[in-house]
Amino acid sequence: MLKFALAGNPNSGKTTLFNGLTGSTAHVGNWPGVTVDKREGVYKKCAEPIAIVDLPGIYSLSPYTPEEVIARNYVLDEKPDCIINIVDATNLERNLYLSTQLLEIDVPVVIALNMIDAVERAGDKLDEKALEEKLGVPVVRISALKETGIKQLMDVAYKASKSPRKGSTALKDTALSHLIGDVKIALDGQGVKNPLFHAVKLIEGDEIEVAMHKDTLKMVEEFKKTFTDDVFGTDFEALIADARYKYISKNFDSVLSKKNKGSMKMTKSDKADKVLTHKIWGIPIFLVILFAIFHLTFSEDFLYLGAIFGLPSLEELGVDTETFGGQLLACFYDGAVFSPGVIINNIWNEIIVGNVLGWIKTGVESIGMAEWAVGLLNDGVIEGVGAVLSFLPPILVLFLFFSILEDSGYMARIAFILDRMFRKFGLSGRAFLPMIMGFGCSVPAMINTRTLADDKERAATIRVIPFFSCGAKLPILTAVAGAIVAAFGIGNADVITFSMYLIGIVAAIVSVLLMRNTSLKGDTPPFIMELPSYHAPQFKNLMAHLWDKTKHFVKKAFTIILASTIIIWVLTHFSFNWTFLADEEINQSILAQVSMFVQPLFTPLGFGSQLGEFGWVFVVAAVAGLIAKENVIATFSTLAACLVAVASLNVEGLDIEAEEGIDAVRAMITATGITVPALLSFIAFNMTTIPCFAAVGTAKAELNDNKLYKGTLLFWIVASYVVGAMVFTIGTWWWTAFIWAAVIAIVCYVIVTINKRSAAKKA
Amino acid sequence: MPIVLAPTNVELKVIRILTDEKVKKHLESLGITVNSKLTIMSSSGGTVVCMVKDGRIALDGNLSSKIFVA
Repeated sequence: MLKFALAGNPNSGKTTLFNGLTGSTAHVGNWPGVTVDKREGVYKKCAEPIAIVDLPGIYSLSPYTPEEVIARNYVLDEKPDCIINIVDATNLERNLYLSTQLLEIDVPVVIALNMIDAVERAGDKLDEKALEEKLGVPVVRISALKETGIKQLMDVAYKASKSPRKGSTALKDTALSHLIGDVKIALDGQGVKNPLFHAVKLIEGDEIEVAMHKDTLKMVEEFKKTFTDDVFGTDFEALIADARYKYISKNFDSVLSKKNKGSMKMTKSDKADKVLTHKIWGIPIFLVILFAIFHLTFSEDFLYLGAIFGLPSLEELGVDTETFGGQLLACFYDGAVFSPGVIINNIWNEIIVGNVLGWIKTGVESIGMAEWAVGLLNDGVIEGVGAVLSFLPPILVLFLFFSILEDSGYMARIAFILDRMFRKFGLSGRAFLPMIMGFGCSVPAMINTRTLADDKERAATIRVIPFFSCGAKLPILTAVAGAIVAAFGIGNADVITFSMYLIGIVAAIVSVLLMRNTSLKGDTPPFIMELPSYHAPQFKNLMAHLWDKTKHFVKKAFTIILASTIIIWVLTHFSFNWTFLADEEINQSILAQVSMFVQPLFTPLGFGSQLGEFGWVFVVAAVAGLIAKENVIATFSTLAACLVAVASLNVEGLDIEAEEGIDAVRAMITATGITVPALLSFIAFNMTTIPCFAAVGTAKAELNDNKLYKGTLLFWIVASYVVGAMVFTIGTWWWTAFIWAAVIAIVCYVIVTINKRSAAKKA
Repeated sequence: MPIVLAPTNVELKVIRILTDEKVKKHLESLGITVNSKLTIMSSSGGTVVCMVKDGRIALDGNLSSKIFVA
């Protein structure tokens, strides 16, 4: 099969084109560095099927970050039949810098001129025929977004792929052309593929190249001694870069005729940036946007209308919530207007999931199976999986908001305004992007750290990514927060949720600070980032993101979570001699016996021995969470069904059958007498401990260093234990804050002294 | 002068880049080379956003004190 590679600058629309060509829904965002790995698909509308490879964005073929290495290696080693070089017409000169390098390779190249509509909207004109003539390769204008010109592009590329092409260089009229020619001939003699490309890179002194061609290097060094340039001296690499840009501006200035040439024009994006990246207001605006997102997703008192106007509850209004109409009304309003996220959640859970699961359960009971089988299906599987599915709405709503931020281009600005703050902790603002991706899922977030140039910064970032509470941890947060509000009557669910997210962020900051001063010391890498133009989020794109998320979540619920709930149910209904236990005898089960054994370990965290005979349920939930975090709530729901049977659990209005896990957690609270600080500590522990299997596997692969990986596991265990213990003790006895403060001060003092001493030794 | 101190909204010419090789190369591929032109859009407390060719590039304070313009 023919293979075409898509190469181009970051954020130039490669992945959008890829999706258009192959019908995939790969993740697209408006910031440089969304794609960090190559990705394959098939285009079927040509004479023969063509494999399309989407590469990470690169500014040049001299890699700066790990993901750029992937793109370079692919282009050189995998020998695609044609390279489709996507050029962003709104920044033609800079994009052509990469093109001049791609053209040096012996491979057919076709230029796809993207975003030309934006150029024309600004009143400028681009002569693509002249561009084609000067570059010597076909140029096709496309709109990746509107999917126009794509068929034509592929036809041209298909034709081009049939005739081999020899590399050509933009440097042929410079003082270096002789040297390039000589080195090329030498490399060609050694049988090196793409001799022209390698010759130029070797002269540039490119690290990878120098290591590859040690023999030829001598010849280059000899020549270099005889050559000096007025401006650049012997800096060949800068000389070549300058020559490329000179070539580009000499040849292509005439191609693009600008309406108001020379004069500086402020675009709408620049005006927006004046406000959004303001040195004082930038960060407060960001925090307000973040809180607004949480408020819209979780608040049960939208804009605090209920509290401000003292709105009456449905009961006071005399509405019967048992009727369907009343039920529906209760999804939108009850003493306060609910936020959109909560409304969607209510409709999904109260009307759809609640009813459907009820019918299924009644169905299971009515077909006359053995009692244990009914128990397994209803209490084990349906309760567990149902509890997880009930969290789909808040996860999707939160994800939608983050997708909007991402698609609009604001995300890149946040990285920029946070850079100054991040720098104090030893990270660059670049690290913010993978971190905020962590709110969605740790796995892609960890992979995205490939955009970080420094290995130690990468390791530190990978370690704290799980602290940015992912979608799967959200159920733990909302269920426990909801139960705290319901059982103790304190606080607002959205405020508790928001502050738990903040605890995760603070833990991340402190950990980074600690690591960058101890085990992962190093200079903070510089922050260099392109700020893309703002644009309105694409509806199609947002829906594609949500659909992907939904698919992933539902698939997980019916595989890993389903299997885990069955295992947990079995372990709680059999004793060590494999006799079947009724719900009431749960404490003799295998799971209970094992968990009681480790329960004391969690005493400092508030959910250990002090919880008495049923306290082990929290331990089980936390351990089940190591497989997948959704398991925590699934486990609660499975276990709550048993606990209710253990008599003495008569809480008014308690309905274990209800979804969202809130009542399951309330059952736990009643059975164990756990306190609020211990519950908060439980959330904090789960947020900062070893993440799920998938994330651990990804961390291992991305760190690619056994010692670092083991250190990471240990770090997660220690961090979660310390954070949990801190939340519990301070929450229970406020004065312990002073003890913690003292301990922290001592630790800081020791680290600073040791660092000073080692610095003095070096000096 | 380093671009931290340079005036905004004026076209400037890069005369010297004092970073290590790797960063310099990256700056070059973004269009910031010796002899190239750039315009500073905003400059606050060291961090700088500049217009290079037709793109907007953000740089941190440390880096922007190592790029000299005239």
